[in-house]
Amino acid sequence: MKETILKLDNVTKVYPNGTVANRDINMEFEKGEIHSIVGENGAGKSTLMKVIFGIERPSSGTVTYKGEETHFNSSMDAIKAGIGMVHQHFMLIPSFSIVDNIILGDEPTKSVFIDQKEAARRCQELSDKYDFELDVNAKVSTLSVAKRQKVEILKTLYRNAELIILDEPTSVLTPQETEKLFNQLRFFKEQGHTIIFISHKLEEVKQISDKISVIRNGVSKGTYLNEELSMEQLTNLIIGRDLDNDMDEYKTHEDFHHQNALEIKDLYMEQNGKPVLDNISFAVKCGEILGVAGVEGNGQQQLVKCITGLEETAYTGDIVICGKRVNELNIKGRRDGGMAYIPEDRMGDGVAGQLPISDNLISTYYTREDINSKLFMDSKKIAAVSDNLIKTFAVKTKSADAPVNSLSGGNVQKVVVAREYNTDSKFMIAEQPTHGIDIGSAEFVHHKLIEMRNAGAGILLVSADLNEVMALSDRIIVMFNGQIAGYFPDANKVGESELGMYMLGAKHQSAEEIGGALND
Amino acid sequence: MTDNKNSKYSKNYKLSISNPKIFDAIKMLISILIALAITFVILCLVSSDPVNAIITILTGPLTKTRYIGAVIESFIPYAFAGLAAGVLFSAGAFNLGAEGIYILSGAVVTAVAITPLTESSILHPILCYLAAMAFGGTLMILPSFLKAKFGTNEMVVSLMLNSIYAGIAAYVVRNYLGTLKRGGNSSKDYLATAKIPYIYDPLHITICFILLIVVTIILYLVMKKSRLGYQIRLAGTNPKFAEYSGISAFKLAISTAAIAGVLSGMGATTALLTQTTFYTPSQSLVGIGFSGMLMSMLGRNNPIGIVIAAFMIKYLEQGTAILYFVDNSVPSEIVAIVEGIIIMLISSQHFLRRFREKKLLKEGLEEHAE
Repeated sequence: MKETILKLDNVTKVYPNGTVANRDINMEFEKGEIHSIVGENGAGKSTLMKVIFGIERPSSGTVTYKGEETHFNSSMDAIKAGIGMVHQHFMLIPSFSIVDNIILGDEPTKSVFIDQKEAARRCQELSDKYDFELDVNAKVSTLSVAKRQKVEILKTLYRNAELIILDEPTSVLTPQETEKLFNQLRFFKEQGHTIIFISHKLEEVKQISDKISVIRNGVSKGTYLNEELSMEQLTNLIIGRDLDNDMDEYKTHEDFHHQNALEIKDLYMEQNGKPVLDNISFAVKCGEILGVAGVEGNGQQQLVKCITGLEETAYTGDIVICGKRVNELNIKGRRDGGMAYIPEDRMGDGVAGQLPISDNLISTYYTREDINSKLFMDSKKIAAVSDNLIKTFAVKTKSADAPVNSLSGGNVQKVVVAREYNTDSKFMIAEQPTHGIDIGSAEFVHHKLIEMRNAGAGILLVSADLNEVMALSDRIIVMFNGQIAGYFPDANKVGESELGMYMLGAKHQSAEEIGGALND
Repeated sequence: MTDNKNSKYSKNYKLSISNPKIFDAIKMLISILIALAITFVILCLVSSDPVNAIITILTGPLTKTRYIGAVIESFIPYAFAGLAAGVLFSAGAFNLGAEGIYILSGAVVTAVAITPLTESSILHPILCYLAAMAFGGTLMILPSFLKAKFGTNEMVVSLMLNSIYAGIAAYVVRNYLGTLKRGGNSSKDYLATAKIPYIYDPLHITICFILLIVVTIILYLVMKKSRLGYQIRLAGTNPKFAEYSGISAFKLAISTAAIAGVLSGMGATTALLTQTTFYTPSQSLVGIGFSGMLMSMLGRNNPIGIVIAAFMIKYLEQGTAILYFVDNSVPSEIVAIVEGIIIMLISSQHFLRRFREKKLLKEGLEEHAE
């Protein structure tokens, strides 16, 4: 006696830049199920969710919710209809309390004023009912990422959402927190809620789902019952081929290790009176990848900012890049000194979207002699360089003159990596280098990073993706609360759950052990 | 490596509406046609002979050489203002200070032009130019400098400075450069040596016309080919990316503002030395700096496009002025309607978008099928 709550018929979405994000997607969601949508990043999952949630309108096709065709003009309409969405990046106001965040847009009133008491009571009641363990009067800025996520979920429940969409909810959680979230999702299911769970982590999908739908390249590859799919079949459906996951063929090149690409000594930084970087010391040797693991928001971003010099920040301690102290230098000086940087915010920092690919491939070395003549830049040589990079990095495009924002996320990232690769730097910061891109491109980026390492570059890999850190790194440090909580001199000898304990702050090594990060 | 004969990615960009440049061109053309169509509708309402009226607007300036001469003479200062705005907009700076720079450097030009510095009728105009360019280049920097150093809003600052500069110009002219002959609000007559003569009289062509062409070509090369132009493009499309790439936002803001100021100074000098014999701060140059932004928008910040746009707008204005001669039921302000509609349509993000998306959808699907 299952009833269909949501049905998609031939949904197609084309973005103004020409990207066909979804094509003729047909899907059905039943009440009270946990239905996962999997696919490589960039396959079109997020777009499909935006269509369901009223943020984007389908170019053609229909969405039927509870038997009625929807014409949502905005997410407000979707929320009213009973659909809730927890975005990958939270939509909360940090300086507001939990209650204020939850009731925002739908405040209980007493005459013309907000009824604060009633609001707090209702929020607390909901939180207790679902066992969220939240103090609803606390400010959001004081909460951990996992708790913020709970607030987001609570927000959808407060608005009586029957269908809850969770977009990559586990990407910011540790393994332990993920387990907790899953228990809650199962409870929601018992209460009759329908959950759409979006993820690219297949183990988790297998663990939680009733049904699994696969999207590849914007096209639906069918909906399956969880039991009828093996892991291999699922992988095959998602990427259309078997994944070459063999990173072990690459061995560390110890010949370069006598030099340090980066040295950090006693780095200390405060924000709002609290230390966000607390006496960090470590070194990245030439010819190695040092991985920085940690839940987002434990100081990694500030660390990267200090090292790149992209923003003027106040800190104490020493930053030495390729043997030269760079504290007083801006980003240009540091780049000249041998630093390359793959930024986390690809579209914001990493490219100029409206400019041609060729312009974006040279920005960090545009004054270099090989692409300039005396007075002007040499467009022929630039074309040769960019053609060459497009070819070696397999950027999927018709032309080097096409604007970067006409590319898919994975290809944009390839442009960024190609450019930084072409600077021939001795030191590279890779900040979330494969965040949100398809598996094929991610694999490619990984191979290029390893290639650079084998050629003698030192790479600092900062990533929230634990698997990535473990697969690529030679050594690993774990950051928690602005400190290095753990140091692992051999990345092959540490397990996921062990790292998880350090990421959560459940374990902390002694100063002596951590000292190895700098002195090994 | 340098053999780019098999250059696979550099050329084969389709000649189709999915190419943004071609889309822009089509959009511009259709915008102009729609604007003219609406103008025609309005003419039908106000004029007894609308067909003749629109023909007069479109072809009037070509009927006599002195008409087209008037267009050529008057459009040059506007073209300079457009180039100035174009440089600033390309770099993503919303410095609206060209207006004030025009008016204040007008006073500077006047000071030089009424002073017998030299006997030479070649050197004297050059001195006028140099003074105004140096002055304009320096003053234009102020809003950008304040923004970079103190985080002020350059739009607000530049607008305030416009009033301040106009006030200073009026004060200086009244107290130091003026003559009672014209009620005290205008300057003395320029010396004969400062005037710029026609080199081809019938079409009112002066050396300034050639100056404009040279400056436009140089600017075009700078914007498209030079490292400075590359920096401007990066900073204009994504300032964070420029900063990330190691381009100093501060230096760039200062140098683009300086260039814009120099261009404004050129424009002000040209206007005064070719079109008048004395300076009235409350009249002579008012509005040119602001119109420059319009030219820049129409020309899509491309120097050559800006000059063409300035010519086109001045041509239409001349056309409506002629029409007013013949048929004074049509106010000459009608040209403002044409300008307004064109600007509105080309700056609209959504205009013609569906048309393009359909085409893209088709292309995208075809590609998938391949």
